[in-house]
Amino acid sequence: MSIDPPDRTQHLVPAAQAGDSKSASSERFVFTPPIDIFETSEGLMLRADLPGVSLDSLELQIQDNRLTLFGRVETVLPDDAVPLHCEFEVGDFLRSFILSDEVDYERISARLSHGVLEVELPRATQAEPRRIQVNAD
Amino acid sequence: MAVFRLGQRWDPLRDLEREVDRLLQSVNLTFHGVRAGRKYPAMNLHESSDAYILTAELPATAPEDLEVTLANGLLTLSGHRRDEEHIAEERFRRQERPQGTWKRSLPVPDRIQEDQLSADFHNGVLVIRLPKAPQEKPRQIPISSN
Repeated sequence: MSIDPPDRTQHLVPAAQAGDSKSASSERFVFTPPIDIFETSEGLMLRADLPGVSLDSLELQIQDNRLTLFGRVETVLPDDAVPLHCEFEVGDFLRSFILSDEVDYERISARLSHGVLEVELPRATQAEPRRIQVNAD
Repeated sequence: MAVFRLGQRWDPLRDLEREVDRLLQSVNLTFHGVRAGRKYPAMNLHESSDAYILTAELPATAPEDLEVTLANGLLTLSGHRRDEEHIAEERFRRQERPQGTWKRSLPVPDRIQEDQLSADFHNGVLVIRLPKAPQEKPRQIPISSN
């Protein structure tokens, strides 16, 4: 599995690109969430910190061999709230991974709890070696 | 670096080595300093018409792993990130998420209703509402003179 280089910088993208329908003119932050990937007995486990992302606002998709996660974060603040002190920015999460052939795409499963996405990437069962008959002319 | 030395063989390589060593050490120290200096969790404070609102992103923390206390005008939050199982270091292909226990205290504004404080923890985002105390009417203080 190869992973996009960790990109701590934040990007400002037009809202339309980030999938914002209600305010097409405003810009939203998009962050690269921190992840862990570790080996399990069945394959690989991926965990990503996605605070503020709910089941409805999370998109997880595989296209060709690319696994992409996109989580939208809705504000929890009332409309009239004004910032007094800010240590972090609120934004959406986006990251993609190139899956290797050793992953069984059909059996990938995921769950979201306490703001953490957990994706199980089971190892594909090795194909049995097949004997090829060699014929003489 | 000393430019001139008496009674010593001039050894530019050793000096260079020492310089590089020193430089690497200072870089390392700075790195650790920066990491330690950053408070966890990062918190935002907002003000609305009737309350102050504190927010923090706390993924991988269950509500039962989180403690919020208020005493003497100091709000203290503590908790730990949940690791259901111990994962051996060599099994990691990538490790970017922070781990462990943390604690952070911060003073709260004076004019809040401490008994009305409420906290909501959803999808790894903690929201603490500190309702403002109602504006008190100015109180006339009688002045006596002998």
